[in-house]
Amino acid sequence: MTLVEFPAIAMAAVACWVLGSLLQIPAGRSKPVAVFSWTLFVGGSAVLVWFLVSYWIALERPPLRTLGETRLWYATLIPLVGFLVEYRWGIRWLKYYCIGLATLFLGINLLHPDVFQKALMPALQSVWFVPHVVVYLVAYVLLAASSVAGFHNLWLQYRNKSSKVSESMSHYLALLGFVLLTFGLVFGALWAKEAWGHYWTWDPKETWAFISWLAYLGYLHLVARKTRVTTLQWYLGLAFLVLLVCWFGVNYLPSAQNSVHTYSG
Amino acid sequence: MQSSRTTADAGTAVEGFGGAALFTIFAIVAGFAVEWLTAGSGIVIPRWPVNFLFLAAFASGIVAVGLGMRDRPVVAWMGGIPVGLSLIVGLALLSFIGGFLPQDPAPAGSMVARLRLNSIFSSWPFAFVAFLFLGNLGFSLLWKTIPFRPANLQFILFHGGFWIALSCGLLGSSDLQRLVIPLYEGQESGVAYEMPSEQPLRLPYSIYLKDFEILEYVPQFALYDPSTDQVIDEKSRMVPEVRKGARAVWPGIVSATVLDFLPDAVPGKDGNPVLAAEGHKGVPFARIRVELEGQPAVEQWINGGGPGINPQFFPVGNYFIVIAPGQPKAFSSSVLIRGNDGQRRVATLEVNKPVDFQGWKLYQMGYDEKAGRWSTMSLVEAVNDPWLPAVYLGFFMIMGGNLLFFWKGIKKMEAA
Ligand code: HEM
Repeated sequence: MTLVEFPAIAMAAVACWVLGSLLQIPAGRSKPVAVFSWTLFVGGSAVLVWFLVSYWIALERPPLRTLGETRLWYATLIPLVGFLVEYRWGIRWLKYYCIGLATLFLGINLLHPDVFQKALMPALQSVWFVPHVVVYLVAYVLLAASSVAGFHNLWLQYRNKSSKVSESMSHYLALLGFVLLTFGLVFGALWAKEAWGHYWTWDPKETWAFISWLAYLGYLHLVARKTRVTTLQWYLGLAFLVLLVCWFGVNYLPSAQNSVHTYSG
Repeated sequence: MQSSRTTADAGTAVEGFGGAALFTIFAIVAGFAVEWLTAGSGIVIPRWPVNFLFLAAFASGIVAVGLGMRDRPVVAWMGGIPVGLSLIVGLALLSFIGGFLPQDPAPAGSMVARLRLNSIFSSWPFAFVAFLFLGNLGFSLLWKTIPFRPANLQFILFHGGFWIALSCGLLGSSDLQRLVIPLYEGQESGVAYEMPSEQPLRLPYSIYLKDFEILEYVPQFALYDPSTDQVIDEKSRMVPEVRKGARAVWPGIVSATVLDFLPDAVPGKDGNPVLAAEGHKGVPFARIRVELEGQPAVEQWINGGGPGINPQFFPVGNYFIVIAPGQPKAFSSSVLIRGNDGQRRVATLEVNKPVDFQGWKLYQMGYDEKAGRWSTMSLVEAVNDPWLPAVYLGFFMIMGGNLLFFWKGIKKMEAA
C-alpha cells in the first residue's frame, strides 16, 4: 500500500474509534454493545497496523525515517496504550485522550503528506535502526500518557477526588517509559559507534535525549525521597515538554544546524 | 521504590534540598569563574596514564572516605539523594546550554567564548558538576554494595554501570584518536590526518585501496519546475522509479511511460545510447513516451548526465521531465591492510560495518561527492579508543540493571 490509500485508511481508523466511543454510552447496559464497541476500537488500530505493515513492504525499508512516518507509528501505538491501561487499571478516560491524539497525528499527516521515498541512506541501514527508534517511540507514547495522567491526577485532586489507582498508573507509565528511554539511549550509543565512529558526540539530538533521560531520572529520585504526590504529578505533567523538544523541537533550535539526527521530514 | 534504612536516614538527617541546591550552584558558578579568568580555555583531560591514575585515586578516595567516615554527616550528605538530585538538575542545565547553543567556534573574546558556552562539554563548570556527580554516585554505590545484598543488585548494576561509563567516557576522551585517511584507487597510504587541524600522522599500518564502489537506488524520473527548483507531485505522490513499463501521471499536465531503460549506457553515434563498455563510465538512459492532452504521443531518450555526458531532458511547457540519479544505497572500499609487523588483512569497509585491525576500527567515511558514482577516492576514518571496553562494560551493566528494574517494576505493578 502507498500514500494514495492513506486518506481512506486514516478515515477508516478514526471512524472506527469515534463509533466505538459513541457506543460506550449504551455499552454499560448491554454486553453485546460493549463487545461491539471494543471490536471497533481494536479494529481501528488493526487497520493502522495493517497499513504500517504493507507500507513497510512497499517502501522496502522500515517506515521510520521521516517525522511523518514517526507520527504514523505514534498514531498506531498510542491508542493501544489507552486500551491496555483500561484493561490493567480499569481507568477509562485515558483511551479517549489517546484516540484524540492519534487522530491529531493522522490529521497532520493528511495535511502534510510525505513523499513516498524508498531511499534509505547507508548510515541508517543497520540492525540497530528499528530497535533504537521503536524503543524510543514506545517510550514517548508511555511518557505522553503518564504526562496526561499526571495532569488528570491534579485535576482529580483539585476536585477532592484523588485516586490511588490513577496515581499509581501515572507512576508505572513513567517507570516503563524510563526503562525504554534508557534502552533507547544505550542502543543509540552502540549504533553510533558502528555507524559514525564514536558512541557519543554531544550532537544536539543526543544532548536532548540525555536531558530528557535526566528529567525522568530526577523523577525516580524524587519518588525515592518520598516526595509529595502533588509535586510528582506536576513533575510528570511537565517533564513531557522536555521530551517534545527532543522529538520535534531540536530541529528548530540554533544548535541544530549541524545535527546528523534531524529528521528529513 | 524504597530507600534502604541506613542511607535514607543519614541522607534526610542533615537537611533537605536547600543546601544541596546551593552546593550545586556554587560548583557551577565556580566553574564559570574559572572559565572567565582563563578566557574560556576549558579543561584539558590528561592522557594515559595520568587520567587512569587520577581515576584510580578518585575511586580509592571514595572508598576510603565512604567506608571510613560514613558516620560524618557531611559524608552522608554528599552521598544522599538531595545532592544527587541537585547535581542531576545541574547537569541537565549545563546540557541544556549545550543543546541550545551551537557548539561551534565563536569569536574569541565574545561572552559566549569566554564562558565557553560554545564548548560546554569540555568546560570547567561541566567538569566540576560531573566530578561531584561521580562522587555522589560513588558513595551511594559503595554503601549499597558493602555489605552486599542480592536485593541491591539492580541498584548496583545501574548506578555502577553509569559510574563506569561516565567516568571512563569522560576521562578516556583524551586518548581517543579519530583520524581521516584519504585513499586513492590503486594506491597505498599509511598517512592519516587529524581533524580539524589537518596535522598529518604516520600510522602503524598502511592501506591499499583496490576498488571503491557505490551502489545506487534505481534512478527516478520527475517533473521538474526550474522556477521553484522543486519537483511536481505525481498522482500517487511517489517519485516514480525508472523501470521498463513504469508510468507516471502528473494530473492536468502530462503523463509519461518508460519504454526502455539502460542503467549504464553512453550516447551512440546515431543519437541512440549504447551499453557502456567495461567500467563505470555510463549513465542511466530511458526512452519515454510522453502524452500531452490532445496531442500525439512523442517518444524520446532522456538521461541524467555525468562526467563527459550531457544530460538530456524532455521539456513540457515550463517544466522538464528529468532523470534524477538514485541516491547512494551503499558504498564500500575493498582494501588490503598491512601492519608494520607484517600482518595482512583483506577487507571490505562499508558504512555501518567497521573493520578491526590491531586495536583500530576502520570506517568507510566518505568519497569524492562531486564525482559521485565515479569517485576513485575513498575517505576512511580510523578510530582508536583504548577506553571503549570499560565504557561498554558500563553500558552492559546499565542494560542489565535496566532489565531488572523493568522486571521488578512489573512485579510491583502487579502487586499494586
Ligand atoms: C546517573 C546518575 C545517578 C545518580 C547521581 C544517582 C544518585 C543516587 C543517590 C545518591 C541515591 C541515594 C542512595 C540512597 O540513599 O540509598 C540514589 C538512589 C536511587 N537511585 Fe540513583 N542515581 C543515579 C542514577 C540512577 C539511575 C539511572 C537509576 C535508575 C534505575 C537510579 C535509581 C535509583 C533508585 C531506585 C534509588 C533508591 C534506591 C533505594 O534507596 O532503594 N539512579 N541514586
